[in-house]
Formats: sequence, C-alpha cells, structure tokens
Amino acid sequence: MLAVNGVSRAFDGAPALAPTSLNVAAGEFVSLVGPSGCGKSTLFNVISGLLEPDAGSVRIAGRDVTGRPGSVGYMLQKDLLAPWRTVLGNIVLGAALTRGVTAADRAAAAELAERHGLGGFLDHYPHALSGGMRQRVALMRTLATGRDVLLLDEPFGALDAQTRLGMHRWLQEVRAASGSTVLFVTHDVDEAVFLSDRVLVMGPRPGAIVDELAIDLPRPRTLEMATSEAAVAAKRRILSLLHAEATT
Amino acid sequence: MSRSTLRAILIPLASVVLVFAVWAALIRLFGVDSFVAPTPLEALGAVREDWSILWPLALQTLEETIYGFVAGAVLGFVLAVGMAQTRIVRDLLYPVLVGSQAVPIIAIAAPLVILLGFGILPKVVIVAWIVFFPVAVSVLDGLARVDPDLVALARAMGGSRARIFRVIRLPATVGPLFSGLKIGATYAVTGAVIGELVGSTGSSLAGYQRQANSSLDTAAVWGSTLLMTAIGIGWFLLVVGIERLATPWRTRSTRPRLGFGASIRPDHRPGDAP
Repeated sequence: MLAVNGVSRAFDGAPALAPTSLNVAAGEFVSLVGPSGCGKSTLFNVISGLLEPDAGSVRIAGRDVTGRPGSVGYMLQKDLLAPWRTVLGNIVLGAALTRGVTAADRAAAAELAERHGLGGFLDHYPHALSGGMRQRVALMRTLATGRDVLLLDEPFGALDAQTRLGMHRWLQEVRAASGSTVLFVTHDVDEAVFLSDRVLVMGPRPGAIVDELAIDLPRPRTLEMATSEAAVAAKRRILSLLHAEATT
Repeated sequence: MSRSTLRAILIPLASVVLVFAVWAALIRLFGVDSFVAPTPLEALGAVREDWSILWPLALQTLEETIYGFVAGAVLGFVLAVGMAQTRIVRDLLYPVLVGSQAVPIIAIAAPLVILLGFGILPKVVIVAWIVFFPVAVSVLDGLARVDPDLVALARAMGGSRARIFRVIRLPATVGPLFSGLKIGATYAVTGAVIGELVGSTGSSLAGYQRQANSSLDTAAVWGSTLLMTAIGIGWFLLVVGIERLATPWRTRSTRPRLGFGASIRPDHRPGDAP
C-alpha cells in the first residue's frame, strides 16, 4: 500500500535522513521508534509530500506521490484544531481545503463522530474540550479526508498516561472500523508494541531503519496481551536495540 | 437577568459615578467658581438645556465617526492582507504606515480641509487616517502568527495556497482585527472632533463648544465634552458587542443557534469536558 524507496534528505549539506526504505501493507499498523532527531519527522514530511526528498520515491497503491501533498492523512502531536471552527467544522476541514464542504460531507462527518463517541460534541468549539477529546477530533479530521494511509506522528505524546491508555483502545476500534493503513511514530515502546503489527527501529541521526520486528498478537488487543510473554519479549528486544544505538 | 450580566452592567456604571464624584469633590474642595469649572451636575444640566441643539450635532459627529471608522477599517484590513502576501510590498509600505501616524493629526487637519472642503469628507478622512493604523498592524500581526504547523497540515491535506488563505489564514485574523478595531474605536471620535474643530463653519459639536467657550459658558464647554466622550464610549461598546457576535468561539463553548435553544444549552467550560 505504502512503499518508500531509498528516500534521503539533507538540509544545507547536513544529512537529516539516510536512504530509507519501508513498506506498509494495506490495513497494516506499523510503528517507528527511535531517538529524538533520528529523522522521523523528516521521513514523515517526505511521505506526506510536504518535503521533496533528495533521492528516492514514495508510492501509494502503486502511484508515485513523491513531493505531492494531499495523498495521505496526517496527524501531529499538536491537535491543530482551528479554534473558530466547531468540532464538526474541524472534521470537514479537509473538504473545506480542497473542494468546499457539501451537506454530504457534514452528514458523513457527523456519522463518523457519532460512531466513535463524539456525537454530543459536534457543535462544541475546541477550547471547550479536554486534550484527549481534541486528539480524537483531530483523528476524525484525518480519517474524514478519506485517505487510505494515515501518518500519525506521536499523536498521544502530549496526553497523560491515563488518557493515553483510553486512546489506545479507542484508536484500535476506530481503525478496525476504517481499515486504514497506519504508519505511527512514537517514543513510547509500550504504545508501539500494543498497537502495532510491526515495529521499525531507527538509529540515531541521520537515521535509517536498523531493525524491525513483528508483534504476533491477535486483535483486538487486550490488557492481558499488553503484559503477555510475547509483548514483554518484544519490548525487551526493542529497548535493547534502542540502548545499543544510544551507546554507539 | 443573571448575576454576571448584572455585574457587567453595574460595575461600569459605578465607575462613571466614581469619576463624577471625584470631579464634584475636587470642585468643592478647592472652591472653584462655576464659571471657571462646573460641577458634573452643572455640565450635565447644560447638555439637557441645549439638548435640542446638541442632539443633531451629536448625530452628525457620530455619522462622521461611522463613515471614517468603516473606511479606515477596510483600508487597514486590505493593506494588511496585501502586505502579508509579499515581503517587498510589506517592507515598502511599513515605513509609510508608521510615517502616517507620525504626522500630527492636528497639523494635517487644516491642509486636508483646504484640499477637501468644509463638508463631511475631511472629517471622514481624518477618522480613517487614525483608525486604519491599529487595524493594519493588528491584522498583519495576526497573519504572521498563524501557526506554521497548521498551515503545513493544511498543505499536507492538499490545500491550495488560495484555499489555505481563505480557510485558515483569513479566519485567524478575525480576533486580531477586533483588537485593532477596539483601539481605533476609542480614537475615532477624537478624529472626528479634530476635523470639526479645524474645518467647520459652526454647526458641529466642536463648533458649539468653541462658541460656548468664547461666551464663557464653561458648563456648556464641559457638557459638550461629556457628550463627545459618551459618543466615544458608545462606539467602543458597539464594537465590543459586534466582536462578541462575530467571534462566538471566544466566549461560548458551543456554536450559537438561532432561536430559544441557543441560550439554554448547558455550558461547558475548558477543563470540565469529559
């Protein structure tokens, strides 16, 4: 579904991203973990089309979208909700930015929000919502763009641990319903293991992917699985990789 | 009427009473003669006595203020949007903007009257001259402060430059626009009065005051000053009212609906959402 091929990028001669390749299958959930400044953000900006890579290509469903924005759904740690738009108005932002919002867009957005527990907040302004609710709205906005591939860049990074656990369960449900393909960046190894089908570990700057491991746990994932032998083993392996990279 | 609405009305009224009380006390304390400076009651009495003359003059001042204010606001907004488009235009026009405000209004008023005649036009131009600056500066600032991450997100969503301007940048200027308008609103009436002072054949609030001054009718001088002040305050409050209607997200937690449901919906505040 998403194929990144030998993508690299330097800023003013300083490499920010070593040639990187990765593939995400349709409906797969893949996480990227790595130290700060390992080039994750650069990689995401290239995949989203905001940044032209120096070399390499990005393909979605076989189509070359290198340097072409608007091909993936994109979500950041900051919710970036427009304060003057209601929850519903924020969810249809993608339509407003590309072709104008139709009644059908509004109906679809309302239906989406209701299905995922935001039904009572459609007319609320973002400032009236908690951080967790705002991130939910931001994800709904990303889904409503109708893109098959979602790039989620530390979407829960600013939330407290308690809220984050709720968000993990919620994200699982949402994705089970939408069938989206997800590439997820996080610092939180537990989060990566709990949510992902596959975890890619990046090395330090100017990062490239140093290893990957599959998380063989059935879905939907439960609390028991998060503390199961397999999950703990995966976590140990990822942490040891990160530590090895940190000391070299 | 709710407690908070009552407070919002009563406390400003109390501050008006306070100002008048201090004024009256000072007159008493220093034993100032009423032809030197009147008490507030004498000043208000003079306004009431001449109300039939003053009322049409006040409307005229208000008219000059409104036209000038709207013209200045539109000019300031258009300038800011234009300047935000390219760096060259901004760097070229910014010194002009600042220079325009360094010109003493009172000095430019007389030449403007020679240029534009004794009608309403020079007053409108002076008001616009004063109002456009805070509007232009605030809107420019607002455009510069739009979160670059939000713009990047909009680009990643496939938004064109024009769409991003309309859907993201322009709405983001509404708040700063009103900040500029409120600053402009307090000065606008001053501008109209300066225009009247310099370029009126007599029938204006400023002309009335000049006449009262030359006939040593001090109470009428102070009274007409109070009237001008009242127009200024009224205009400011109107702008604040429009701001509340135009930016519901600043004061409300939900989108206002027309009809009865609007005011009785439960109000959530930031922090108490689930």
